[in-house]
Amino acid sequence: MSTTTVRSGGDWLRQFLPRLVLAPSFAITLVFVYGFIIYTGYISVSKSKMLPNLDFVGLDNYRKLWKTLNWQVALDNLAIFGILYIVICGALGLFLAILLDQKIRGEGFLRPIYLYPMALSFVVTGTAWKWFLNPGLGLEKTMHDWGWASFKFDWLINPDMAIYTVVIAGVWQSSGFVMAMFLAGLRGVDEEQLKAAQLDGASTFQTYWRIIIPQLRAVFLSAFVVLAHMAIKAYDLVVALTGGGPGNATEVPATFMYSYTFTRNQMGVGAASAMIMLMTIAAIIVPYLYAETREARHE
Amino acid sequence: MQSSPNSKPTTLIIRTIAAWSVALLLFFPLLFLAVTAFKTEGQAIAVPSLWVFTPTLENFVEVQARSNYLHYVWNSVVTSVVSTILGLLIAAPAAYSMAFSPTKRTKDILMWMLSTKMMPAVGALAPIYVMAKTAGLLDTKFSLIVVFTMSNLPIMVWMLYSHFKDIPHEILEASRMDGAGLWDEFRYVLLPLGMGGLASTGLLCLVLAWNEAFWALNLGSANAGTLATLVASYSSPEGLFWAKLSAASLMAIAPIIVFGWFSQKQLVQGLTFGAVK
Repeated sequence: MSTTTVRSGGDWLRQFLPRLVLAPSFAITLVFVYGFIIYTGYISVSKSKMLPNLDFVGLDNYRKLWKTLNWQVALDNLAIFGILYIVICGALGLFLAILLDQKIRGEGFLRPIYLYPMALSFVVTGTAWKWFLNPGLGLEKTMHDWGWASFKFDWLINPDMAIYTVVIAGVWQSSGFVMAMFLAGLRGVDEEQLKAAQLDGASTFQTYWRIIIPQLRAVFLSAFVVLAHMAIKAYDLVVALTGGGPGNATEVPATFMYSYTFTRNQMGVGAASAMIMLMTIAAIIVPYLYAETREARHE
Repeated sequence: MQSSPNSKPTTLIIRTIAAWSVALLLFFPLLFLAVTAFKTEGQAIAVPSLWVFTPTLENFVEVQARSNYLHYVWNSVVTSVVSTILGLLIAAPAAYSMAFSPTKRTKDILMWMLSTKMMPAVGALAPIYVMAKTAGLLDTKFSLIVVFTMSNLPIMVWMLYSHFKDIPHEILEASRMDGAGLWDEFRYVLLPLGMGGLASTGLLCLVLAWNEAFWALNLGSANAGTLATLVASYSSPEGLFWAKLSAASLMAIAPIIVFGWFSQKQLVQGLTFGAVK
């Protein structure tokens, strides 16, 4: 008799346990993300300056934000950085993946090396970058000492060019990672079609252009989404490399948000900029994830 | 797609050289960092760069003396290890539940959880900062652990789910047939079979937490600062601290160079939100 009660107790537990143990993760994600987004959203329509202040001011902060010169600079920089970063990382990543896909000797050794820049915190590796890019110490000085006196590379301290140093570091950091995405895609290409193309006498270039690359469409899309959201979130890169400077030359939305919230005592404006970033990222990922889940259902 | 149709030995050699050159180029900044860490400040700024010199440990000693380096190492270790363990404890049951008792909504919940990982941290910065300040938890390891755990949780749930899903359900059913209770089921079936998944997910989270700089810089400073904070503090005055800065940085990246080697697959998987399996 007693065994049956124990069994039914166990069954009851078995039935409810799944939901019970899912609850904490579900709740944490809900609170951490949505709770805080709502809070940030509320701050963005409030009078908050140095401290949160819950007086409602409507869209004043948003109006102020769009009139702020620094925000315009941040958006321009995001456009320059985002486009170059996505295009160069994508191209380089695809190139590296095709290279590695050719039965290269030591592929197992090369793959992690390509990935390391991504695996390491840029706050740390940015150190080495500052070194190279510093006109008085790095590349420029080395070239001078080798006798190339007219060589000039002062992008890091040149307000017009500083954002491109962020692009260089960003490309360094992410292309190996994009390579890994493409490599996984290449390994999944239909062998039969390749054999057929070979029999028809297609050149290597034709095979890639006509058969392989079209099959990588899904990878291109994922790579785009991942890179685009990283570009919008970019913070470490800029803080470690230029700190937003010289002046405000490399201000991006994330550094803007940070400085307005914490150092310029404009918490409302900072929150408004955070909301704009959130909405932009959501506009990119929601359709993507929606398509992904639909695909998963059809499987 | 392994070999291309018309690769001659020469083209293969050219490709191999190209692949290795790119690798060298990508690795060069790290190599430079590692080498500079063992130079004196004078040698560090010598031009052309010295590649042959007597290595010195004085930078490490100096960094320790000047900023109590080991204190930051300890903070990094504690925050990343504790947040990983805590995350596994919360995420594993959730992943287990979704893998073994899936409902119509399971896929949606997973996607939704993953999507949150794409959100920029700045979106949550103001509320978290204010809350930590109000609670008197600014610059404490506790607040960093909580934030690290929460921000890694979606990825952990998702990674564990994809591991657990591969455990055949028949094994669980067979053990139930044999009269195994919940505890036995967990202890003798799930734990041994899920160990690989737990280990690789844990490794990924250790790496992510160790590297985490945004929250570490904003919520911690002197008391709870991690290695990222220490390195950042060294790089602010544009002085000639290259060798010391390199030494501090090297210690911050060394564990990842080792762990990263073993967790490349998870890293790609985690960072692409499952687009690459």
